[in-house]
Amino acid sequence: MKYQTKMAALLFAALAALLFGIGIGSVYVAPGDILSILANHLLHTPLPKGLPVSYPAMVLNMRLPRVILAFLTGAALAMGGTVTQSILQNPLASPFGLGISAGAGLGAAIVITFGLTAVELGTFLLPGVSLGFSLATVFLVVFISSHLDKGVSNVTIILVGTVFSMFCNAVMNFLAASSPAYGERIQLWLLGSFSMKEWNAVCVLALITAIGLIFFLFYAREMDVMAFGEESAQAMGVDLIKLKRTLLAAIAALTGAAVAFVGVIGFVDLIAPHIVRRWFGAAHKKILPASALFGGTFLVLCDLAARVLLPAREIPIGVITALLGAPFFLYIFFTGRKGH
Amino acid sequence: MLRIEHLSCGYGGPPIIQDISFQVKEGEKLCILGPNGCGKTTLLRALAGLLPSNGTVELMGTSLHTLPIRQRAQKLALMSQFSPVTFNYTVYETVMLGRYAHQTNGFLRGESAADRRAVEESLRLTGTWELRERLVTRLSGGQLQRVFLARTFAQEPQAILLDEPTNHLDLRYQVELINSLKSWSNAKGHCVVGVFHDMNLALSFADSILLLNHGQVQSYSKLKDFDLSLLDKIYHMDIRGYMAASLQRWT
Repeated sequence: MKYQTKMAALLFAALAALLFGIGIGSVYVAPGDILSILANHLLHTPLPKGLPVSYPAMVLNMRLPRVILAFLTGAALAMGGTVTQSILQNPLASPFGLGISAGAGLGAAIVITFGLTAVELGTFLLPGVSLGFSLATVFLVVFISSHLDKGVSNVTIILVGTVFSMFCNAVMNFLAASSPAYGERIQLWLLGSFSMKEWNAVCVLALITAIGLIFFLFYAREMDVMAFGEESAQAMGVDLIKLKRTLLAAIAALTGAAVAFVGVIGFVDLIAPHIVRRWFGAAHKKILPASALFGGTFLVLCDLAARVLLPAREIPIGVITALLGAPFFLYIFFTGRKGH
Repeated sequence: MLRIEHLSCGYGGPPIIQDISFQVKEGEKLCILGPNGCGKTTLLRALAGLLPSNGTVELMGTSLHTLPIRQRAQKLALMSQFSPVTFNYTVYETVMLGRYAHQTNGFLRGESAADRRAVEESLRLTGTWELRERLVTRLSGGQLQRVFLARTFAQEPQAILLDEPTNHLDLRYQVELINSLKSWSNAKGHCVVGVFHDMNLALSFADSILLLNHGQVQSYSKLKDFDLSLLDKIYHMDIRGYMAASLQRWT
C-alpha cells in the first residue's frame, strides 16, 4: 500500500476517533450533531431541530477542548518519542529517560506544595513552572553530559538523564510525603488528566505541537543519517554534537509542554513510533507526521476508555496507557527474541 | 593526492598514533597493516576528522580539518568497521543517505537526478541493485557490508577510507568487493586507504603498504618494495611459513 493511502487511512481513523471521543460520554452526541454544532459555531448555520439546548455548550466547552487536548498530547509525545529513539539509536528510548517528566513533576510539586500563585499567569502558572523545570533538567543533562564526555555519546546522555530523573523524583516524593495535604494532588497530577482544561491551554499546546512538527521535519534527513550511528553520521557530513543539542532542546520543549499541561502519560512515546515504523518504514519525513496522527488517535481512544470503562468514575489516563503499554512491550520483547 | 604529515592523536591521554606521514596519489590504493591495538582505526578516524589531531591532512591541496564538516564529507568518506542497523530503512533509502553532503538544506527537500544517478551507479557497482527494496534489517552481514560500501560510493568523495570492509563477507564477496574498489578507484582516479586484517586480500589490493605498530610507522613503501619479513617481527609469528603451508593445501 502506498504511503499516501496509508496516511489517508490514518487521517480517517483520527477523525473517527475524534468524533467518537466527542460523542461518547455521559450523554451520547451523534457525529452528525457534532458536525452541525461545529458548523453552527464557525459558519452560523442552523442547528438541527430537536437538539437539546445544553449540547452545543457541552460539546464546545467541555468535550471538544478535552478531546483536542488529548489528540495534541498524543501527537507531541509520539513525535518526541520518535525523535528520541532516532537520536539515541534505540527503539526503546523515551524522552522521559532524559529527565523531562521528572523535572516537570518536580516543578508541579513545588507549585502545589508551596501554594504558588501569580495573577498575571493565572492557570498557566503550574504548566509554565513545570515546563521551565523540564527544560532546565534537560539543559543540565546535556550540559553535564558535554563535560563528562566531549563527544556527548548516547550512553552518557542516558546515564546522566537517569540520574537526574531519580534525583527529581526523590525530591518530588519528599515534597509529597512532607505535605500530606498535597501528596494526593501531586500523585493525581502525575497520573495525567485531560479534564477541566481550558481552550487557552489547547491553543498553546496546538501551537507548540505544530511548530514542533515543522521543526523536526526540517531535520528529517539528518535524523535518518544519525540512525546509522554517530561515527557514520559525522563521516557523512552531519554536525552531530550541534544537532543533538538542538534536537534534545526541541524534544524537551515539546514533551515538556505536553507533560506540563496534562501530567505524565507514559508509553505513548514508546508505542506510537514502534507501530508507525512497522507500517510506514523508517524515513523521518514519513513517520513524523504519521507518529503525530497515530499518537493523537491512540490517546483520544485511551481517554475515551478512561471515561467509560468505570461507571460514573474516570480512570487516570496514565493507568490506561500503562495497562496497554506493558503487554505491548512483552509482545515486542518476545517477537524480537524469536527473530534472533 | 592525500597528504598526511606528522599526524598524532589520542583519546585524551597519551597519543595512540604518533608522527604518521604518508601520501596517496590519485588512483592509488594504500593498505594499512598492523596487529590489533596498533592504532589503525584511530588513524582512520583522525584522517576523517572524527578525532582532534595534530599534524597535516590535505586532500588535493586543501587542508581537510579546516573545512566545515559537510564540505569535508564531500571530499572524504569513511566506511566504519561497525554501523548499527536499528531501524527498517530500505537498501535504496540507506544508500541515498550517502548523498547527504551534496544535498541542500531545506524543508522536506527531495532527491535530485544527480542523487538518483549516483545511488543507482553505486548499487550496481556493488551488486546490490536487486536488493534495493529490501529492508536493511533483513539482510545478511555480507549483504549489509556491500550496501554500506554502496553508500560510501554514493557519497562521491575524492578519497575513501575503509575500516575492515571485508568483515562478514564470504570469499567470493571479499574478492568482488576488492574488485569493486579497484574499479571505482581506477575509473574515478580517486585514492583508497583501507585497513585489512586478511593479508592476502591486502596484498592483492594494495599499491602501497603502511605498516603500523604501537601507533608508529614501521614501514611505508610500494608493494613491490615491501619487506615481508617485517610482518614476522611485528606479528611475532612465522607468517610466510604459515602462508606457504596454507598454499600447500591448495596445490
